[in-house]
Amino acid sequence: MQPAVFERVVVKNSPVYQYMKVSLVLEQAQTKLTAVELKHLITTGLKSLYGEVGAAFPFDLLTFEEDTLTAVLRVYSRGLVRLWSSITLLGFFQQQRCAFRVLQVSPYLLALTGNSRDLALDS
Amino acid sequence: MFKQLEKTPRTVLVCERSHLDHEKARLGTHVEQHFFNHKVSLLVPGCDRLPAELDAALNSMRSFLLVRNLPLSQLLEKEFLDQAVYKGSTYGLSYQTRIDEDNCYALLPNGKLVLSVDKDTYETLGLEGKPSQYQRRPAGRYVVSVDLKDRTMSPGGKGHQRVVKALTEHTPLSCDLLLSQHLPGDESPALQSLLSNHKLSEHRPRVSSHVMTSLPCPTLVTSHLQGEQQSCDPQSFLEWLGAVDAGVTFEDQSDGYLSTYECPQPQTVVDAAVRCSVTGLLLPEDIYHLLDVLRRSVLEPKLAPWLALTVHGFQDSPVSWGTAEHGFLSGGENFYTLVLFQNLDYWICMATGPHDACPP
Repeated sequence: MQPAVFERVVVKNSPVYQYMKVSLVLEQAQTKLTAVELKHLITTGLKSLYGEVGAAFPFDLLTFEEDTLTAVLRVYSRGLVRLWSSITLLGFFQQQRCAFRVLQVSPYLLALTGNSRDLALDS
Repeated sequence: MFKQLEKTPRTVLVCERSHLDHEKARLGTHVEQHFFNHKVSLLVPGCDRLPAELDAALNSMRSFLLVRNLPLSQLLEKEFLDQAVYKGSTYGLSYQTRIDEDNCYALLPNGKLVLSVDKDTYETLGLEGKPSQYQRRPAGRYVVSVDLKDRTMSPGGKGHQRVVKALTEHTPLSCDLLLSQHLPGDESPALQSLLSNHKLSEHRPRVSSHVMTSLPCPTLVTSHLQGEQQSCDPQSFLEWLGAVDAGVTFEDQSDGYLSTYECPQPQTVVDAAVRCSVTGLLLPEDIYHLLDVLRRSVLEPKLAPWLALTVHGFQDSPVSWGTAEHGFLSGGENFYTLVLFQNLDYWICMATGPHDACPP
């Protein structure tokens, strides 16, 4: 058995990915949307703002709750600003007005699972 | 063409590995100094039910108070100072205030009262403070720190009178405050009776647990903190842990169109795993007790070779570790993850966001 050691590593500014928690607000709240439709909507927004080449970076739709239209996206750090700006400017889904609310952005996916702003206490 | 768009805010991740009994192990200090904890999340692979002792520890985290519309000057009353500040570790944090928009207040267990206030409040308050490290030019936010245990802050003292005057006459500040207290021994906290003339409610931390089956888990080798071929590195492990917590499915039904994320290699599939989380105002003392129980539980041969505990701090707390200033920017993350191995070696990964100092 190896003797116990103490090792400390400090990692600065090297996140490969950034994670975004976003929710989609639709003019007609009863409209249903699937995960595939949401991803297609975001991809369309990217292409319309940055063109085929500017939008040529991958992003993942990690989770999607159909009830609340809330999704967690994973994107390479270098694509964060482009993804963020394109969903900010997205205004229409199937001829109805829509808007993305960016709830939280972090280089750690874990941080998105413990949002203290969601702590609701009844009194 | 897009170079200027490819920058992201700075981040710091500090990872340590050692043995629980190693002389340099600072696990206890890291836990004690992270004052305001919002959520504890435990992942135990290899079982479909938590060991009884562990379950009891998670369910016995102490309750906390929510005091509505409490004037901050109340915290400087002689009785409160005697019973809460001088006597034991009292933790107080303003509730539903956002550190990037509102005034936020915290009472630290070492007796410091930290006020993170906007420029207008600071200028009318008339107390000495410092511009926030993260909003310097022009300074839009100021941090005032008052040491309630200082000699000049004893009731009737010069400093005490000045702060009371500032908080009652200059700018009467009040907030909804989360409060909890740890007292040594069996003594029960007197917070409730001290603040009985205010609207208050007692809350128990919320516990929830979830059993997962056929979960792919990355292989961890305790000595490979920086990642090797046979082991997953801490960053990938934190991502995987986040994916498990967020409920990401590891099999994409859409041939990779939606997501290309998969469990890091090498991996093993465990039959069952339990994920348990507790939310509320959780005291470091309770988390320390949980660590003691984990230390005994991890030795059970039936469990997987490691278990992981993540502790999330409040995103809107004015401090993260110790008295280090904390801000939000886009995520406000301040959390640590402890991975405990069966031989009592451990990894601890402490993460902070762009508006934070380097973890200790």
